Formats: sequence, structure tokens, C-alpha cells
Amino acid sequence: MSSFDDVQEFVGQANRVSDMNGLRSLLEDTVKSLGFDYFALLHHVDLSRRTADYVRLIQYPQAWKEKSVSQDYYSDDPILAVAQKSVTPFLWTDVPRLLQLTRRQEEILNNAHLSGMGDGVTVPINIPGEFAGSCSFCMRTGRDIPLSALPTAQYLGCFAFQAARRVVEMEVTAKPAIEEAQQRLSPRQLDCVILAGRGKSDRDVGQLLGISGQTVHQHIEEAKRRFNVATRQQLIVRALFDSQITFADLMN
Amino acid sequence: MVNLITSYNRSKFRAPLEAMHRDRKKVFVDALKWDVPVVDGQYEIDQFDTDAAIYLVALAPETQRHLGSVRLLPTTGPHLLSEVFPFLCDKGVPVGDDIWEITRLCTAPAKDIEPRLVRRRLATAMCEFGLLYGINRYTCVTHVQYLSNLLAVGWECELLGEPRQVDRDVVGALSISISPATLQLFREKLGSRTPVLQLDAFAAAA
Repeated sequence: MSSFDDVQEFVGQANRVSDMNGLRSLLEDTVKSLGFDYFALLHHVDLSRRTADYVRLIQYPQAWKEKSVSQDYYSDDPILAVAQKSVTPFLWTDVPRLLQLTRRQEEILNNAHLSGMGDGVTVPINIPGEFAGSCSFCMRTGRDIPLSALPTAQYLGCFAFQAARRVVEMEVTAKPAIEEAQQRLSPRQLDCVILAGRGKSDRDVGQLLGISGQTVHQHIEEAKRRFNVATRQQLIVRALFDSQITFADLMN
Repeated sequence: MVNLITSYNRSKFRAPLEAMHRDRKKVFVDALKWDVPVVDGQYEIDQFDTDAAIYLVALAPETQRHLGSVRLLPTTGPHLLSEVFPFLCDKGVPVGDDIWEITRLCTAPAKDIEPRLVRRRLATAMCEFGLLYGINRYTCVTHVQYLSNLLAVGWECELLGEPRQVDRDVVGALSISISPATLQLFREKLGSRTPVLQLDAFAAAA
């Protein structure tokens, strides 16, 4: 069987998986057959977040997992920073070209290497109205990345992330988090905040959405209340920070 | 609203269709730099824009301005996957009365148009059209970078073969299943319980 057939089989089975551990072991086999050693599926949200409404499935060397948590590398991770701004997959070796690295970011890449993480590729998963996300595949230090498998890896990343999102949705529905629900914007509020963030007036937003400018105003006010902020600018920044909207939403 | 335009009612929609071909040129040739034919220096029209093609065209209610559109081709005749990209299908190009192909999905490149909302409307129209015409699945050629979005939106997709590097992009052939559940989901997203597809008598006769 070719590695593409393995991915097809993964796609078929991933639709039926009902828990994260099942998905993890399924994905582990497929990633190996593609020729990679490690993987990570992530929504880019703060680790301290108390709720479970995001994807976080990581199969990285233990040494690196411990190091990155203890040093709080997450919020400065250059790979995630590139993924958030990127539409197409990128090789980690290209990151210094794609991003002006800070000293801390250079330190992060060096330490990752020392902890056994070699070359890798990241598939950005940026869905409007959702946390920014990504799927990465990588090698043990010293092993070459299977370049011919990249198109199939990109395909696998998309379906694996979708499967993870579905599992998370099932788990969250089972255990609703009340505090979180108060801060999540409704789909209509998201539409309004995104368009306001693109500099549109209530009236223009209303025309685009087929509702009145007054209704748009109410959606924005309600969104401000949810975040407990006073101005539109704060609302947009807060929604961005929370990854409820993405840079891609605002700059498309 | 989204208009269903076939060879039977095309004459009624001459201006919007012209606008569609002009916008297709701006999107696919000027912006995306695709190597596709241009007619009279301003219209993108290719060998599949024939009487067999059906267009779903979103028009502004009063001005009839072109907001976005998609072209649907029966797979029983020549279509993009069979003629240009058959190598994307590992087990042969799927063909049948219940399989149609999606191509040239675009939104008008204007500042006062919100592409995501137009796409949502077109997606709902494609489901309605599919259920109306007895289409079980659509096929299409897509850049793999759009795949995560298609999945998140709720399309039930399957890849027909290994994705390939074509020029600078990775492309794949998709099969998309259409069911009443998909339509229900899209209508919820759109906030609408009624059809978006505008049928007129001549189109229905097709």
C-alpha cells in the first residue's frame, strides 16, 4: 500500500473516532507511514486557558514538551507566529526567512533542536471565526524530511485537524463551560466585529449582512458587553487576542 | 438570491453573464495569474463555457450587479477534471448523471462586497441545485490550501487521488457528497429557512 492509501484509510476511520486517544493512535501510525517522526495539532490558544474547547494533540519528544512548558515558550513560538500569518504550508528551515526572529525566538529554535526536534513542516489551519490553528509534522534531529510526501502531508493535516475539531466539539457539548460561553461571540456578532475591524461603518456592515445599521450597532454593543470592554478598538483587539477572529479575517 | 442560468434562459441574463466573465478575468487572470484564455481582452471564457454549462449567479437584488458565481458542468460530457486534470484521480475520473463538476467559483473583486457572505450563499445554492437535480456528489479541482476551510464549513469531502504539485501550488481532485443534512447546515449558517436559488420557468424546463 502506498502512503497515500494509508492517508485515505486514516480519513475514513478518523470520521468515526470518538475520543482524542483514539485519534492520537490512528494519526501516529499514519504519520509514521508517511515518513515523519512527530506531529502536533494545535489551536493557538494560551496554555492557561481553563476550558477544553480547543484542539491540542501533541506527539513531540518528552524533553521538548517539558522544556517548552517550563520556559513558557508557547507565546513566542516562531513557528506558530508564521503559521498565523500564512496561507500555505512552510518548512521550518524557511522560518528565519519568513520572520525577523527575536533573540528569544532564536533561543526557542535552538533549544527545540537540542531537545531532539529536527526539520519539520507546518500546515496553517486558519478558519474565519475560529482560533488560529496549525498541524505540524517533524523529524528526529538528524533525519531528512521526506520532501516527496509534503503534498500528502498537507492533505493529512487538513483532515486530521478536522477530525480533532469534531472530537473537541463532541467533548465540549458533553460538558458545557458556562464562563466560557459568556465570552464566546455569536456567529452574527463575529460577522459584525470582523467587518467593523475592516473599517466598515454600521450602515455598510448592515448592507453587507442584509440587516439594519441599528441591529449591527446592537450586535457590537452586546459583543462589547461580553468582553467587558468600552470601545470598538478594544473589542477588536480582544477578539483578535482570543483568536475568535484572525488577522486573515481582517486583512483578506 | 442566486439565479439558475442555463442555455434556456441565458438570453434573459446577458448583462449579468457578461459581468461574470469580466469578473472571472479580473479574479483568475489578473489576480491569480491563471493561464486561461481571455476573449476581447476582458472576458475569461474557456472551452467549457458551452450550452451544457449551468451557472449559479448571485446578483444584487435591485441593481442586478454580479456579486459572485460558480459554473457547474455535467461529468457525462467534457469537463475540467476529465480533459485537463485526469491525473489527479487515482481510480479514474468519476462520471455519471448524479455527479457534476464545480469550477470557476468566484466573488466579484469589489471593496463593498464581502466574499465570505457571497460564498455562503453560493454554497447553499449549490446544495439546493444538487438536491433538485438529483446530484449525489460534486467533483472539483482545488488548491489543497483551501481544503481545511471547505471541511470546516461543513462540506463532506474526499480526495480522489494523491495531491500533486502543479506549478507553485499543490492541487487535488475532490469529491463532495451532497445531502439534505448539508443543506440544513448551510441554511443555518446563512440564517435562512427558504431557498436562495431563484428558479424561473425556462430554467426549470431544462
